[in-house]
Amino acid sequence: MVKNEKVILYDVDRQYDDMIASKCDHALAADGKYAHCQGCFGCWTKHPAECFMKDKLQQVCRIIGQANELVIVTENLYGGYSAAVKNVLDRAIGSSTPFSTYRGKQMHHTLRYGKHDLLKVVVYGDITEAEKNTFRYLVERNAINEGHARSEVVFIEDLAELEGVL
Amino acid sequence: MKTVLINCSPKKRFCASQYFLFLQKLFTGGKKVSEKLRNQADHARILDQLKDAQTVVFCLPLYVDGVPSHVLRFMEEMETFCRQNDIHLNVYCIANNGFIEGRQNEPLMQIIENFCSRAGLIWGGGVGIGGGVMLNVTRIVFEIQIGLLVLNTVLSVIQTGVLFPKDLWIDFGENALTLLFFNLGALFYFALMGAAIRKGSYLGKKYTRILIPSFIFILFADIFFIIISLFEGGIFRGWLAKKEPAN
Repeated sequence: MVKNEKVILYDVDRQYDDMIASKCDHALAADGKYAHCQGCFGCWTKHPAECFMKDKLQQVCRIIGQANELVIVTENLYGGYSAAVKNVLDRAIGSSTPFSTYRGKQMHHTLRYGKHDLLKVVVYGDITEAEKNTFRYLVERNAINEGHARSEVVFIEDLAELEGVL
Repeated sequence: MKTVLINCSPKKRFCASQYFLFLQKLFTGGKKVSEKLRNQADHARILDQLKDAQTVVFCLPLYVDGVPSHVLRFMEEMETFCRQNDIHLNVYCIANNGFIEGRQNEPLMQIIENFCSRAGLIWGGGVGIGGGVMLNVTRIVFEIQIGLLVLNTVLSVIQTGVLFPKDLWIDFGENALTLLFFNLGALFYFALMGAAIRKGSYLGKKYTRILIPSFIFILFADIFFIIISLFEGGIFRGWLAKKEPAN
């Protein structure tokens, strides 16, 4: 299994593709050209770690699951991920298993690929203070849920700052 | 007063959100319109219903600590629609997740609250429910019990001529009360939300769960997934394996 891999999931314009690709082992463009999760749990119970929908996200949980460092670049939407990024994350729940365990004193699913190091989220776009607080809380929860040892949220005012924070 | 209740589950059937909205409607007065939000084709129809409504109730599952992506797309469109048409609805939310702790719905609640601020809507609060999937199973079990009661009553009439066999009805009553107990936390807060909707008041964020101990819940959840995976075949296809991407 490939570990210690840095994966960047991003929703910024395709003009940033080359720069982002140079900063990681695997770049995932959230371009919105795929279906949303149907909530069937088939990626747990029928075809493990694989979605029944045959599009480019069919095995995305295997890429995200193996990332030791996951960096998400997203536009702010109400203090959470953009719909395009959230779509990819929703389709990636096969990185965990249907079995339950306790992490952070709360119930979560066990991890198919084990624990990870860093979850870093870079947020751009118009954002209020309340939304910033929600985002910090959300990423903290995501890190526990997905088994990341550390998490970090960076708010940038301009995409010109993006290369410097990746 | 018109309330639009939106089932935001992407599932076609057997979804917990449908069950919770059914219960919420029992406690909600005035005109009630039920809508289903599964994809973009539903947007225009639901937005049309909002034009003359006073209240909207989102009922949705928790996905990766937040709002499912297809609901986010609708919220973006609803924000624009409400601003353009000067609509200022009261917004309530029923969130459910498969874990035992209802409080795990907190980030989702905050996102809906932030959406209300952006769209000029009035955030009325919500109910976050833990063990939503299992509560939905209690509904299915209850329906099966009613079916068995009817069947056994018919057999009793045919065989003995007794319409109300005492033991049968006592067993049914005991089972029904047990299932009702599991749901009491959710029912209590649905009643409070119904009152808040009637008054147009702020409910706050309330968290509850299926009323069984955590260790029993986890045991049943694991058994549930083992059985489903056995029937669907996943258990024979590298159920817990660290699978590699195809390319």
